[in-house]
Amino acid sequence: MPVYNRERYVVPALRSLLRQRDAADLDIIVIDDGSTDGSADAVRSMSGESPCIRLFQQQNAGVTRARNTGLRLLKPDTELVSFLDSDDISPAGRFEADVELFRKDPGLELSYSRMMLVDKIDDERLEPAADSYRITVRGIHLSSAIFSRRLVERIGWFDEEFAQAEDTDYLLRGFEIGPRYVLPETVALYYRRHPGNMTKQEDVQSREFLRAIYKSMKRRRANPSLRPIEGIFELDKLTDWRFM
Amino acid sequence: MPQANVYAVASKDIVFESFDGEAVVLDLASGKYFGFSDSGSRVWQALCSGVGAQALAGSIAGAAATGATGLDAFIAQLVELGLLVPSDGTAQPLPDELAAELAAANEPLNVSVHDDLADLIIVDPIHEVEEPLGWPAVKQAS
Repeated sequence: MPVYNRERYVVPALRSLLRQRDAADLDIIVIDDGSTDGSADAVRSMSGESPCIRLFQQQNAGVTRARNTGLRLLKPDTELVSFLDSDDISPAGRFEADVELFRKDPGLELSYSRMMLVDKIDDERLEPAADSYRITVRGIHLSSAIFSRRLVERIGWFDEEFAQAEDTDYLLRGFEIGPRYVLPETVALYYRRHPGNMTKQEDVQSREFLRAIYKSMKRRRANPSLRPIEGIFELDKLTDWRFM
Repeated sequence: MPQANVYAVASKDIVFESFDGEAVVLDLASGKYFGFSDSGSRVWQALCSGVGAQALAGSIAGAAATGATGLDAFIAQLVELGLLVPSDGTAQPLPDELAAELAAANEPLNVSVHDDLADLIIVDPIHEVEEPLGWPAVKQAS
């Protein structure tokens, strides 16, 4: 979990993971990317009570480098890897449902589940608020994925050329190399929509997204054995998405 | 013969960027994306900035693989793909740097069409946000 100035949201995000401790032997790596608010203190306080939360701090270097820092800190015996952004919520039962798929199929390399966009989350219950507007899609989000350790090693590092859309690039690279994957119906993420979301910086986002597409195209041109990315993302329901 | 001398990007749904001199073009309405050969990228760049087809033809006539005949067919293809439309604008001069790059191009003019990421491209994150609709805002089918 990369964190940058998310004091208000990081605690609920971590609580949403801790409530799933029974589903897996969790090692929660938090990279504080030079926050100037109380984010690191909030995480440190939780880490004191829950040693499975490991906090690492670095000078602000951006989300892509923070993610790579996290990958470098994976324990040698870690078998499965997922991501949660510091302002999102991992639904109860998310890991129980999808980790089980890896237990049943030792050759599985990737589960890629659904995400729910929510405009209001009850941060006590860690569930969408009763009056929230929500929609569920198979979008493009790292939290939808659980990667086998082997796949993480096959994909390699996040490409630090990206200031944003590093997740899009990472997922495209992941699917291109043809992993054994499943597309469960699990809701793997409550994706909080609020004015501070990074993806609303439209100009940067557009160019970075185009760069991810460009790089995918270039890789596949250079290496015809890479797979086209078909039938993964199902986003058509987003045409109904509106903040009410 | 080309249909026109000057062309313009067909609509607001056609967005493009250049990376390392190579153009990538997205059609946000169809979700298709387009890749170009080196020479194709240069020609796309020139046509989008209003350089006349005649000026382009003169510049690339010397390059074996990208002669004037190839240029006409290439432009016709871009029009057919819905990326360019004829314009009645005034032809802009071809920048010297672009002319030199075109003259040095030694591969055919080519555009490749892909649609495997259509779902992703149609929905955003490229679409402009129109507050208070918020993100993601999706263009409604017209």
